Amino acid sequence: MSAPRSALALALEGLRARRRRAVLSGLGIAVAAATLSVSVVIGYGLGTGFHRATAAAGLPDVIVRFDPQAAPRVAARIAALPDVARYALRLEVTNVGIGARGHQRGDAVAEVLDAPGTHQGYAVLSGHDLGDRGSDVLVEQGLASAWGLALGDPFYVDGLGPQRVVGFAEGPDDVGYPLGKPRFYLSRPAIDAQLGAQADPRVDLAEIWLRNPAYLSEVLVQARATSFGLHDIRFATRSGLRILIDQAAGIVIDLLVALSLIALMTAGVMLAVSARAEVQRRLGAIGVRRAVGATRAYLTVAHALEATLVALPAASLGVLLGGLATVAPAGRLETMLNEPAPRWALAGPLLLAWLAAVLIPSAGAAWPAWRAAGRPVARLLRGADVASSGAGATTRGGVPGSSPRLRGGLVALGARMVAARRARLAVTIATLGLSAAFVLLLLALASELSSLETDPGALGKRYALTAALPPSAAARVRRIPGVLAAAPRYEVQGADSFDLGETIDVIAYPGDHTTFEAPALVSGRRLRGGREAEVGAGLATALGLTEGSTLALALADGSELRLRVAGVVSSLDDDGRVAYIPASALLGPEPAAPSAIAVVLAPGADVSTVLAALTRLGAAPTPVSTAVGRGVPLVDVLRTILRAIAIVDGLVCLYALVQACALTVQERRPAVAVMRAGGGGVGAIVRLLAGAALAIVTPAAVIGVLLERGVLGPALSHLAESYATLPLGAGPAEILAVLAGLALVAAVAVVSVALDAAREPVIRGLAT
Amino acid sequence: MSGRIGRRAFLGRAMAGMGAAALAGCGAGGPLPAGSGSTLESTWGDPTGDGRLRVLAGEPLIARAELSAPAADVGVLATFAHLTDAHVLDASSPARVPFLRRLGPPFTSTFRPQESLTAQVLEGALTAVRALGAELVVQGGDLLDNDQGNELSQARSVLAGGIVTPGSGPHRYYGVQLASDPDPFYYRPDVDAPRHPGLLQAAVRPFLARGLGLPWVPVLGDHDILVAGELVPTPVTRALAVGDRALWELPPGLTLPPGFRLQATSSPDGPPAPGSVHEFLIRALAGPTVRVPVDLTRRQLTAGEVVAELRTAAAPTSTRTGDRLDYAVDVGERVRLIVLDLARRGGGSGGLVVAGQPAWLAGQLAQAGGQWLIIVSHQPLAESAAGGELLSLLDRSPQVLATLCGHTHRNRIAPRATAAGGYWQIETASLIDYPQQARALRIVATAGGGVAIRTWMLDHVGYGPLGRISRELAYLDAEGGRPQGFGGGRLDRNVVLYRRAAVRS
Repeated sequence: MSAPRSALALALEGLRARRRRAVLSGLGIAVAAATLSVSVVIGYGLGTGFHRATAAAGLPDVIVRFDPQAAPRVAARIAALPDVARYALRLEVTNVGIGARGHQRGDAVAEVLDAPGTHQGYAVLSGHDLGDRGSDVLVEQGLASAWGLALGDPFYVDGLGPQRVVGFAEGPDDVGYPLGKPRFYLSRPAIDAQLGAQADPRVDLAEIWLRNPAYLSEVLVQARATSFGLHDIRFATRSGLRILIDQAAGIVIDLLVALSLIALMTAGVMLAVSARAEVQRRLGAIGVRRAVGATRAYLTVAHALEATLVALPAASLGVLLGGLATVAPAGRLETMLNEPAPRWALAGPLLLAWLAAVLIPSAGAAWPAWRAAGRPVARLLRGADVASSGAGATTRGGVPGSSPRLRGGLVALGARMVAARRARLAVTIATLGLSAAFVLLLLALASELSSLETDPGALGKRYALTAALPPSAAARVRRIPGVLAAAPRYEVQGADSFDLGETIDVIAYPGDHTTFEAPALVSGRRLRGGREAEVGAGLATALGLTEGSTLALALADGSELRLRVAGVVSSLDDDGRVAYIPASALLGPEPAAPSAIAVVLAPGADVSTVLAALTRLGAAPTPVSTAVGRGVPLVDVLRTILRAIAIVDGLVCLYALVQACALTVQERRPAVAVMRAGGGGVGAIVRLLAGAALAIVTPAAVIGVLLERGVLGPALSHLAESYATLPLGAGPAEILAVLAGLALVAAVAVVSVALDAAREPVIRGLAT
Repeated sequence: MSGRIGRRAFLGRAMAGMGAAALAGCGAGGPLPAGSGSTLESTWGDPTGDGRLRVLAGEPLIARAELSAPAADVGVLATFAHLTDAHVLDASSPARVPFLRRLGPPFTSTFRPQESLTAQVLEGALTAVRALGAELVVQGGDLLDNDQGNELSQARSVLAGGIVTPGSGPHRYYGVQLASDPDPFYYRPDVDAPRHPGLLQAAVRPFLARGLGLPWVPVLGDHDILVAGELVPTPVTRALAVGDRALWELPPGLTLPPGFRLQATSSPDGPPAPGSVHEFLIRALAGPTVRVPVDLTRRQLTAGEVVAELRTAAAPTSTRTGDRLDYAVDVGERVRLIVLDLARRGGGSGGLVVAGQPAWLAGQLAQAGGQWLIIVSHQPLAESAAGGELLSLLDRSPQVLATLCGHTHRNRIAPRATAAGGYWQIETASLIDYPQQARALRIVATAGGGVAIRTWMLDHVGYGPLGRISRELAYLDAEGGRPQGFGGGRLDRNVVLYRRAAVRS
């Protein structure tokens, strides 16, 4: 028989001989493969979603919104801009009443295309595009999914009557329904054909595609310079759109991608550890085969083949299950974001995940087998560790010390047993610690997801209440128990000084405004001096403001403020047309500027107590309303995804612990057998393994908490700061939950392995 | 402190200026343009339409035979250049009304992104003209932009050679393009794209002009004698020009009167209705103004002062008396230029034929003998009030070869067929708007007694990178020559215009 075939036969023989062990290994690999698969589906699908959407829809380089204007006038302006490849005009009609399939909404957005054609900034997913005739309507995919619309369905539009659904579309210039408002597209020529041509057709939105998008800044400068006569102008660039969409969901997407990467690392470590453990179990057998003349390469190949034979079906199952578990919720999320599902584009990354799930265990078995087979046969026959043993390590699975009945009892003995293998202990603790940190992060994120629905602080506003009190009352409010900070918040409506018609929400605080509102910095720095301002990204784009330029604000009384722009911030308010300025600058020209006391609550403060105290002060306190009113469906989907990831991660923890306990029992079979021979039953084994599990779980829990609070949480908060202020450090509740979960997983592992060990005849253990 | 600059200081500043401008970057790269500026060798274009100018191959001459069949050249009669509408301006002048641009046409020329670089562009155009080997240069009018003394002084310095000091006031530039100006309607090179940090400082640094070194004949344009090419200087505008108040922002509520639209025949460099700017100015002055440095050199000139200054540059063979700049000048023995002054002394940018001009022109035509005549004016005759009367005179003369004008800022050539043999109506683009070109004209005798005009465009050959930046900004300008098609078509630029032999009746 040739060497490879012999190695294959040896591998198959090994599998037959250790069926239960193979099944356990296979489960571990399946779990890891599932984790990989989940990571790929989420990470690849969501991480590349916007790019896919822009490619599919042909998203314009810049979208300009303005008050309704005659279409030819707007067309002439756009045609005069440099670098313009093509453009499309439309009228965006809001608060349109629609109805279909028993559903009704009164706040839909009708996109009336001025000249239907191939480039309109959306992708037709099914059906066909709009033409110049017919009572046709193109419905956004999110709305179609939510309402269960089919092609050809009647679709009622207020003012137009029954229309017919001819296609479904995705337009990545906004999030889809139900995250956004229900949106559909109409053709102006078709409407004109139905109702008669309008005398003076108007448009209020222009989509512009550039020949060379690298020159976008030049085009924007010219667009501003030629925008005379247009009012309420808002520019949205492709990157700006991404920010806007990210503000709705991007934080979560990025976090999920990051979490997926962590899961990937965990799975990789777990696969390697699992494979190494298998080799460790078979050191004796390797020694025997070496003693009878098997070569080092032969043994290595045989172990690699055996691992591969286990990994092939396990990885396939894991990748399949992981993908199936997450592809649906990820797809729902993508639909909400108006991003197409990756479909077959996922095949490549999933194949890579599958390959990794196969190759890592194979390599993980081959490498330690290669190392083990290179050791002296005598040492192998004594069951030495794959790696060099430390000073404290014992040989032949012996009991540390002189006797099992040592101080501390069986629990302590179990701990010492597992601690005897320091390298393995370190790897297991690291795996478990990372998983614990991962789960902690998931819990913290889930908590923050809830706060996205209700807590304005999550989106840059750190104050929770406002109180209608004069500025002088701020000191009294600060003394209320549960109040962390309080200061007058001045807010006035300004305008640009140049007749662009830009209204600007001017917000001023007497001191550091970031205590109360800290929208993420896009560029520049926080304001410092009394004549500086932070401006929202929307305002910066509209007025051409950058760090160092001058903001001129026309106030209601006709006075003008000129402030140096210190930084540009990402803010959702008023399409980003916001300016944060020092109170001193505002109160000069407007000493009677309206204000309220903004109140930041201390962590854990009782809101109702603070509200009552404020009421006693004579204020009319108002909780800050939700910043993301449309977030509930998104959060639901995200919770589903997080749940899937958490379950997989929990299985990772369980598997790591089972492996560690089983390996300990395997190595200490003589000791366990002696203990059983001396009358120790399952309970004794459980106590022994509980000690081992404690020795692993306790440091792992500490590491997990420290890792999450010190590294992962802050790192992901930093990642999220472009969108929102999210404190992702786990709180006491999350930590307790994870500790309880670890305890439960440890208990399951201990009992499971103990029962398994108890089934082995005592004599076999004694004979080892 | 004396405002005079020593040689050492000048050289130092000039070097620093060029260095700063070089640091600013100019988008250079790819093949180099022809050093002569001749578009027969190379030209500028945007073949991809992405807003970036690139050096392209030259445009060969194309024969135009609408008036006569092509014939072989038998000898050069004259070579001269036509550069027009340089609009050398003082971008710091408080008498400017840049805020009107946001009202759209017809006020779009009240501000241009490249307006601080007009003196450098003129210098670059002269470099191209010098390389042409011309016998003289027709300066086609609107040499100035706002009828200011310092504008005329700077333009004369460029033409005569010497140190040119652009701008005004102690900072030389203090205007709407400063980075500190928050108004997003203005291109601010320090903060807006394409960013050219330090451009404004470089633009007003003194530079050494080589001078034309050739005779040049002036044509009077509306901007040479009128504020914004429109208004006769008034006490209000005179005080503004030298004073310390400037209008940078559109006054609240200032809008165009209903029905106020740019006419198709109007010049792009000024509104069509006399008095409209004055009306805006008076209303605007009631609003907020900006304090700017005083400079008495910005004094607005009378028409007489400008004509007197320009007259000294001309070498007329026949000059009308009075304050009008009507005269004739020979280019070689066989070609005569008849220059007409159509600028309105009472305000308004359009051309106006005044009493006596038709008779004077008729006399000039009668005296032509065997010389070929080219009638030069700033405004097109066909678009000038009573211009038809002059055209009918030209139509009857077999010696008239062409009319030559500027004002429209557009390259355009059209034949005018007449019983007397017809003539070519030639318009040349401005040096301020894209394509910032001058025109070379070479008159050649052709076999059979006919004549041909070989004409091609000249790109200015920049003073350091500033000229190139000016062209780039002019091209990007969405209210400028690019979208308005001022460059014209191929048949408006490099062509050979044939004319049959003159046949006297």
